[in-house]
Amino acid sequence: MSVTQGGRSPVYVRPMPRTWWLRTRRYRRFAIRELTSVAVAASSVILLALLFALSRGRDAYEGFLGWLDSSGAVVLSAIILAGVVYHTITWLRLTAHIQVVRLGRRVLPRRLVLAGLLTLWVAVSAIVAYLHIWL
Amino acid sequence: MTRAKSTKPRPSRLEPVVWSLFAAGGTVAALLLPVHVAILGIALAAGWLPSDALSYERAVDLVRHPITKVYLGVLVALPLYHAAHRLRFVIHHQLGLHGGRRLVAAACYGTALAGTALTVVALVRI
Repeated sequence: MSVTQGGRSPVYVRPMPRTWWLRTRRYRRFAIRELTSVAVAASSVILLALLFALSRGRDAYEGFLGWLDSSGAVVLSAIILAGVVYHTITWLRLTAHIQVVRLGRRVLPRRLVLAGLLTLWVAVSAIVAYLHIWL
Repeated sequence: MTRAKSTKPRPSRLEPVVWSLFAAGGTVAALLLPVHVAILGIALAAGWLPSDALSYERAVDLVRHPITKVYLGVLVALPLYHAAHRLRFVIHHQLGLHGGRRLVAAACYGTALAGTALTVVALVRI
């Protein structure tokens, strides 16, 4: 398709091969970053399924935990985990690029902002793990 | 070239809402999803958790607390809007399907809205 009906009159769009995003490393990294949204959606769906199982009672809940224990679920979780961790790193890098942090008159260097965000992520994960597992 | 401006598709009035949800969902997903996936998807099957960590009684007790419900609502629903927004452009830019912009947008955000409704239903029922 070379002409699109976006506004009031047709706009010429340069034809692109469908696999443009495989061409260079930069494009591939962008494509992977965007595709992590599938892992993000899958995480939400699994958590939602767990909540539904919990709302349906003990048997449903323990049945769902049994599925989580299966090797298929572990492989799926490993892929999803890789995707969400990639999302975390790219998202925090983006945030460090966008968010300017000032201390008095000085602007904090991006690397420090990123280090702070990564520390925040680790701290939040530790708190969640503690509450989830031991509290 | 004075006409060039009018050919630009105008941004929807919902754009700020969609963008806020995309950003909020991206942040929630970045900070919170990995630890949950690691616990439920890996640590449980690997046997790294204490035996009663995910027991039915403990889970129900924990989830019945209002603070937990709010937390879980945010945790499950907001990332759906983030994913919906990105998937919308994965469909257009990476899969190369450029038509049906409105339909794709409605399907993506509609799914996120449906997921939100289901999350609320599940949380209310527990």
